[in-house]
Amino acid sequence: MASEVALFELGVLFAAAALVGGIASHLRQSVIPFYIATGILLGPFVIGRLTPYALEATEFVELGAELGIVFLLFFLGLEFNLNRLLANRSRIGKAGTVDLVVNFGGGMVLGFVLFRAFLPAFLVAGIVYISSSAIITKSLIDLGWIANDEAEPMLGTLVYEDLVIAVYLVVASALLLGGGDLGAAVQSIGVALGVILVLLAVVWFGTPFFQRVLDADSHEFIVLRAVGITVLAAGAALALGVSEAVAAFFIGMAFSSTEHIEQLERLLEPIRDLFAAVFFVWIGLVTDPLVFAGVLTLILVAVVVTVPTKLVSGYLGGRIYDLDIRQSTRVGLGMTTRGEFSLIIATLALSGSGTTLTETVAQTIYAFAVGYVLVMSIVGTMLMQYSTPIEGAIVPRLSKVFSDSSVEN
Amino acid sequence: MTVYESDLPGVGKKFEIEIGDEERLVIVTHNTGKREVFLKTSEGADSEKLFELPDRLARTVGTILEGAYFQPVQSEQVETMLAEGTFLEWYNVEDGSEIAGHTLADARVRERTGVSVAAIERAGSVVPSPQADTVIEVGDTLVVIGSQEDLNEFDVLVSNDAGTPE
Repeated sequence: MASEVALFELGVLFAAAALVGGIASHLRQSVIPFYIATGILLGPFVIGRLTPYALEATEFVELGAELGIVFLLFFLGLEFNLNRLLANRSRIGKAGTVDLVVNFGGGMVLGFVLFRAFLPAFLVAGIVYISSSAIITKSLIDLGWIANDEAEPMLGTLVYEDLVIAVYLVVASALLLGGGDLGAAVQSIGVALGVILVLLAVVWFGTPFFQRVLDADSHEFIVLRAVGITVLAAGAALALGVSEAVAAFFIGMAFSSTEHIEQLERLLEPIRDLFAAVFFVWIGLVTDPLVFAGVLTLILVAVVVTVPTKLVSGYLGGRIYDLDIRQSTRVGLGMTTRGEFSLIIATLALSGSGTTLTETVAQTIYAFAVGYVLVMSIVGTMLMQYSTPIEGAIVPRLSKVFSDSSVEN
Repeated sequence: MTVYESDLPGVGKKFEIEIGDEERLVIVTHNTGKREVFLKTSEGADSEKLFELPDRLARTVGTILEGAYFQPVQSEQVETMLAEGTFLEWYNVEDGSEIAGHTLADARVRERTGVSVAAIERAGSVVPSPQADTVIEVGDTLVVIGSQEDLNEFDVLVSNDAGTPE
């Protein structure tokens, strides 16, 4: 058994997360930056430097964080609906591709300027490309935008991003674990694509099996079996050197075509939220706030560049959905929030530390991502909340510009 | 009158109903069962939230809107609350119901669901306080008393979709 203190520390972690979660909700902010800040404050780098008492990123907390990543991606797969994507493919495809080209492209350029190498640039591109499904969807509901026309391009683009990020994580983890030069990279991408094919086969042929396995009449067994399969697959993938997040995504996708999907969503959501909170607090625990000083310029540059890229791609996405200028502006404002997936990419960057990335670069990318998410999750939420005055300032000017050149329908 | 339906990935479904010059009623049905009702004054306008309802209440309100409330012989959720948590409800025995053709004793309604059958309406007349040997027939309307949960279980017995596992 663990010492009495270890259990108490875990209690402190959960209680603190519960407390700041309440505060965040009261301030109508996203909980994610608050969880991270809690981890930073209670961790060895703030309280630990001032007093002998601090929360440590123990093995249990680290595993809990790992589970948080697994369940976040599992849910992404569970709620990912290929048919819906295909039914709407022309509009989602166009809006999503614009979003990908503008933001991932912009991120590559930014990454090259900052790090002057392909792999770091590729990681930076991922971090600044992926909007936060969790925060944006919640804000949509809280603000009542969910009933408006602008919700459709936003949610559609998020679905497209989710698919891209699944593929991206496979490629990125292969590159990080594969090696530096192009030949090794091509080889590891080949391996990664092989893994994706195997996982797709699992999704394709495994559904009847999953259907039978999950056919239990008690919640206890359903939860145990679903968690058992998911964590086992994720753990096996990690042991084989493939991203556990990707394996979890595909298991979620396989579960989504069974009849148990709604039940699974209901039963596993609290488990996901619990471990996701552990993940965000853990991010804070292992982040030394002093390193932010070194990456402050990077963060500032990234914010200045990537708020406008999302505004532009979101605006264009809105226009692809035939929305007017005001609604399209809103889509742009809504898509700026970055969150959980950028952090998952950041933790991935650490895994390449000392092999494909120098330790300094890996640490820099990690610190940059954490700081960037802290800023962007708050900025994005604020942009949505204060959209009315922002629209009032922007829309008339845009209307003037476009009334000369475009045909209003 | 046109009803527009669209998917909201990860959230649920959205229905827009034209209700007159330019105005639209927007109903968002969440995957969680919650319904949110909004009013849009015109097509491009922002939606203004009117109210939200949990799943169960939404169905009741829907039934009232449907006008089913004035046809007490319908099995559609015509319920009278006798006391907090106890309801009196009417159910049609549908063709294919698993208890049709059995006596009350054989059907073991009370043991299986916890509801009591207070009366049976058949061909325009009423059989009050039916005995254990009374046979339940397709087309009967059973007047039953029980808690909401018991009634939900009973609903499965009289409808023809018995056999689908919970």
